[in-house]
Amino acid sequence: MLKLHDLYKVYRTDEVETVALNGVNFEIHAGDFVAIMGPSGCGKSTLLNIIGLLDSPSSGDYFFFDENVASYSESQRSVIRKKNVGFIFQSFNLIDELNVAENIELALLYHDMPASERRRRVADAMDRMGIAHRARHMPGQLSGGQQQRVAVARAVVGNQPLILADEPTGNLDSVHGQEVMEMLRSLNADGTTIVMVTHSPAHADYAHRTVNLFDGHVVTDSKRAA
Amino acid sequence: MFWNNVKVALRNLQKNKFFATINIAGLAIGLTVFVFGNLLVRYETTHDAFFEKAARTYTIGSIAAPALNVGIDKFNSVHSALGPLIKTELPDVEYVARTLIWEYLVTMGADSYYQGIRFADPELLRIFDLDYLHGDETALDDPSGVLITESIAVKYFGRTDVLGEAITLDNEYDYRITAVVRDLPLNSHFNSLVIIETDFEMFIPLKALARMRDFDEAGEWDNLSLGNMTYVTLKEGFDLTWLQAQLDGMYGRYVPENIHEVISAFWAVPLVDANTSIWVSLGMPVIAVVKILSFLVLIVACVNYTNLATAQSLGRSREVGMRKTMGAEQGQLITQFLVESLVIAAIAMVIAVAALEVLIPIFNNLASKALTLDYLGSLPLLVLTVILVGICAGLYPAWLITRASPIDALRDVARKGKKGSTVRSVMIGAQFAISAFMLAIVSVVYMQNEKVKNASYEFPRSEVYVLQRLDVDEIRGRLDTLRHELEALPDVKGVAYSWQVPYQQTNSTLNASRVQGDVAGKFSIQILRMAPEFLDVYDIPLLAGRNIGRDMANDSRSEDRSVINVLVNEMALERLGISSPAEAINQRFFDVDDDGGLEEFVIVGVVPTQNITGLFNSLKPWVYYQDNRNIQVASVRITSDNMMRTIGQVEETWKRVIPEYPIQGRFLDDVFNDVYNILKLMNGALAGFAFIALALALIGLFGLAAFMAAQRTKEIGIRKVLGADSLQIARLLVWQFSKPVLLALCIALPAAFLASSNYLNFFADRIDTAIPILLVSGVVAVILAWVTVAGHAIRIARSNPVLALRYE
Repeated sequence: MLKLHDLYKVYRTDEVETVALNGVNFEIHAGDFVAIMGPSGCGKSTLLNIIGLLDSPSSGDYFFFDENVASYSESQRSVIRKKNVGFIFQSFNLIDELNVAENIELALLYHDMPASERRRRVADAMDRMGIAHRARHMPGQLSGGQQQRVAVARAVVGNQPLILADEPTGNLDSVHGQEVMEMLRSLNADGTTIVMVTHSPAHADYAHRTVNLFDGHVVTDSKRAA
Repeated sequence: MFWNNVKVALRNLQKNKFFATINIAGLAIGLTVFVFGNLLVRYETTHDAFFEKAARTYTIGSIAAPALNVGIDKFNSVHSALGPLIKTELPDVEYVARTLIWEYLVTMGADSYYQGIRFADPELLRIFDLDYLHGDETALDDPSGVLITESIAVKYFGRTDVLGEAITLDNEYDYRITAVVRDLPLNSHFNSLVIIETDFEMFIPLKALARMRDFDEAGEWDNLSLGNMTYVTLKEGFDLTWLQAQLDGMYGRYVPENIHEVISAFWAVPLVDANTSIWVSLGMPVIAVVKILSFLVLIVACVNYTNLATAQSLGRSREVGMRKTMGAEQGQLITQFLVESLVIAAIAMVIAVAALEVLIPIFNNLASKALTLDYLGSLPLLVLTVILVGICAGLYPAWLITRASPIDALRDVARKGKKGSTVRSVMIGAQFAISAFMLAIVSVVYMQNEKVKNASYEFPRSEVYVLQRLDVDEIRGRLDTLRHELEALPDVKGVAYSWQVPYQQTNSTLNASRVQGDVAGKFSIQILRMAPEFLDVYDIPLLAGRNIGRDMANDSRSEDRSVINVLVNEMALERLGISSPAEAINQRFFDVDDDGGLEEFVIVGVVPTQNITGLFNSLKPWVYYQDNRNIQVASVRITSDNMMRTIGQVEETWKRVIPEYPIQGRFLDDVFNDVYNILKLMNGALAGFAFIALALALIGLFGLAAFMAAQRTKEIGIRKVLGADSLQIARLLVWQFSKPVLLALCIALPAAFLASSNYLNFFADRIDTAIPILLVSGVVAVILAWVTVAGHAIRIARSNPVLALRYE
């Protein structure tokens, strides 16, 4: 499904050159549940951003469904991204001015979809995440766990085949963290490919495969029986 | 999608009430001024358009010859001799009509009033389609016919069906009413000319004037008074250029040689421009200025909005990042932000329209105008303005905030960096440049007006009560009695008859020369016809010689003498080449134009050079002589206590001596204010614009300072932890805004200098230099900016550093 070949990402400022990704090679297959681990600054988030087409590599090839997207512009990436990728962030990134249902609907808003269809799918996603009773609440009125459920609902409402989660449990206590992981597991069981960055070995255990990054290299890539 | 955007926009407003209020209030003020300015300009420039032939009708005025030296270069009026010449000379002119304004004592039924009357050629009624209640457009064909308006009919008779009723002018000349028409709306030049006080009320055939005073129906080349209008209606297919060319040709063929020194050309003006041509005459582009200023105020308001919106939108970086991550393209996000600014502009416009509904009636009342906010007609203007303002003001913040890549936006790079700070500084600078520019101009205009006012105290204008309309035969015979009776009143210090009083914009000149018949050495000298008491009443000292006497031979003008003893001012001596007042006594000079009558002038006394016509006029050479047949006014000098009682006594005296004519009295102050009020009005209007622009700029600065301080809360906390005191912090915040403000002044003040010299050029006696005034107003603008920012900065700087640090 995804293939990264000899991927480099270099950040340049006037004086310093920082190599965030230093020749990364690996492949993700449809239906995978991959956890990316590693210390702070090892390039995890950069990798996730490139996988999610939020950013482009400095060099190397990135095949997204057999299409080399490495040198695509933001607007080209945007078209692929909105069809294929859902995002979950550590800090939820909900829009404070929109209520729960509207925040979820946001993911469909740029998809040329009739309003009735949007409403149906939003209601559906809220049911799945158990937040239907909070539909008219604003993000500020929800707990962290509830907010992250909204974020997950937003990530899945578009039915994108790939979900990227950047430390989805980082801002949550262990109970809520586990809840979110269970959700991801069940999504994966339904066929969604998931790539997740995490610091927690316990949460990495939910994945089928763990990739360890260090200084921009893939150090280990271990698979586990499902 | 659209309603989703509107919804987000409204919620954002709700969330940030403080900034939303500032944003909307600022825009609403700007829009109010802009729409008002537009309505006013449209009102002023569409006068008379309701006349059926308006598009083909023109007024003919004159361009003043440089030698005339009256401070005005164009008149709306023209010599009455031109009209009949056009009639015979130009067959393609369909109609020609002249109007001359004279005031008469009008008696209708039991009542007598002084009434301004337009004496008109009968064709006037073919040019202007009036709404006849009684009678028709042949009303003025009858030389003793009178056309009056409905309200005049009601005023005199209490009803409108008054055809055939008799009216009497100056208790002597009889006419009868031949038509009653509906009143003209206020937006006609007949009612709105600034200088001419006679409204559209009463018309009498021009022919009738010939039997009441020395007037030839064929017209005259020796009299050019304001209000002498000539109207022409061209046949279809002829235009202004054609008319002007014909008039230029006629000027060469018909205008007598000596009139070339009075007017240098004719000046055709479309009828719809007749109302505003007064400003063209004065050389003051008032209509354009209103347009420009109201536009500038709108710009300031827009920049205000843009600035605040830009600063605020940085706080919404995450939202933009998230939306982009979800697949929103920049275009879609820009649309979202533009919808927000359109919503704000629309709300502001609703408030502005509500404000106008309140302001317009007040303005109409104060300025006797009839502005209306007609919604149907104004809708395109209102909608277009909302769209343009919404887009212009919103585009930059929308573009700035949506341009970041999704990761940068999510990381909120913009907030941390200095993105857009240069543009913000430029915008603050622009606002301040505009408001400092206006403030500076207002100051210069104010100082110049003050100078005019202060100079006017040269004459005791608050202690002189002027009695007008004395040039009637029946009154003339009783003037001596009137003077004696008035002088006997305890609080009357003196009574002087004359042709004109100071500040009256009357211009009567002769061409003088030291040597008889020396045309080459001639110069123009102003004539003041007066009685000997004039010097006493106006505290004019004699520098040499004696005053004119009442009973001395040659001290008074009469038909059978060509020599007269006169007083001259020092400037006249200079022009005559006489070096000192003492030497001037018994020197002679001559009138070089051979028009009969006076030829030789003997100087018997010298007075200082004073500005008789005052106001914007320059100092001129004047000759003062006694001419008892040319008396129009009496100046009654009264002591400053018990003025009202004294005026009462003056009125009683008048009633006793001249019972059949009502007294027409006013203070010299009012004569001065006739013109001065125009200057004051302009300054008031300018000050209004400047105040609004400055207030907007300050509101914007305050909002922006509040926002920037919030942005730098963490920095301020760290600085305080490291030992910075409140003053240092406050200085830091204030300085941030000082550079653009100071730079703005460097642009605004020179521009104000140029613009204000345009106003100053109108005055002969100008304030010494505008530069210190400009600098002071610049300093005022800067101090206001500092105070605005500092108030906020000090509050921030004093807050607990821990609170500041906890912010992030």
